[in-house]
Amino acid sequence: MGKVQEITVWASGVVQDKEARDVAQCLAAAAAKEGKFIQAFDNYVDLPDRVNVPVRKYARISDSEIEEKYLYENHNPEIVILVEPTLVKGVDVLQGMKGDGCLILNTGRSPEEILKFIPDKTPLKKIACVDAMKICPKAVIDFSGSEGAVEAAGVGVGIGAVLAGAAAKVSGCVTIDSLMSEVGNPEAAKRGFDEVTIKEL
Amino acid sequence: MKSYEVKIAKEKLLPEAGIVKAPSPNGEQESMITGCWRVLRPVIDHEKCTMCRSCWIFCPDQAIEVKGEEMAVKLKYCKGCGICANVCPVGAIERVPELDFEGGVVRLEKLF
Repeated sequence: MGKVQEITVWASGVVQDKEARDVAQCLAAAAAKEGKFIQAFDNYVDLPDRVNVPVRKYARISDSEIEEKYLYENHNPEIVILVEPTLVKGVDVLQGMKGDGCLILNTGRSPEEILKFIPDKTPLKKIACVDAMKICPKAVIDFSGSEGAVEAAGVGVGIGAVLAGAAAKVSGCVTIDSLMSEVGNPEAAKRGFDEVTIKEL
Repeated sequence: MKSYEVKIAKEKLLPEAGIVKAPSPNGEQESMITGCWRVLRPVIDHEKCTMCRSCWIFCPDQAIEVKGEEMAVKLKYCKGCGICANVCPVGAIERVPELDFEGGVVRLEKLF
């Protein structure tokens, strides 16, 4: 089995549930388009039905078939995306990161400002901030898809597209062209790709 | 006087996961630290505050307490829902982004 790139998306429950799911789904769908093996799923451990509870969404990308079918959490994430940047303060979001990791936040603040909230920066290679709410001021609140229903609002039409675009630039896990063909709002994904502020550590 | 003992089958008792543990002596739930949920922190302006205790009544998490002569927020448990700021009759509670502050949040290694 080849190397599996693990992506974890953190968000606040219910209010950002859909956007976080879109980030994981769009990145996975774009990777699938490039011929890679993927998985994308929600976490139900966190009881995501509670408003504002920290929730996680996962995606896995690999060049060969992914064997860990029954592993419901990403224990060693390489790319961590925070739809709600405040979580960097209260939760150890870098837990399990083994090095050369990327952290992408949805905030208008500078990466230096965010770094002072992270006590252990050793596993981190890049930190990036993108003001997704400014680029695409539409956060879709929709809880339908996480239970397996149809995504009525469309996938990747809000801030999720911006964050997926930023993740494509920072980590290089997918190309922006394949991502733009998968998201509902390609302009937002492109702007996220172009306007993200990256700081190398 | 005869005493009666009520016997309930173990499987008919309430599941343990449905019950929160008894409060610890200091009146807090150490296993349910929810301060990391907060995006906007309530900040009380003690000049404007009239000590009416509306926030104390309305707070769903009992995260507001009377500390001596003024009201205070238990930042360890406040989820930042903003009900206190909405019910305050004099507008003494302001909601400030949590990232503007250096500390005040218990950093969890693992979510409960």
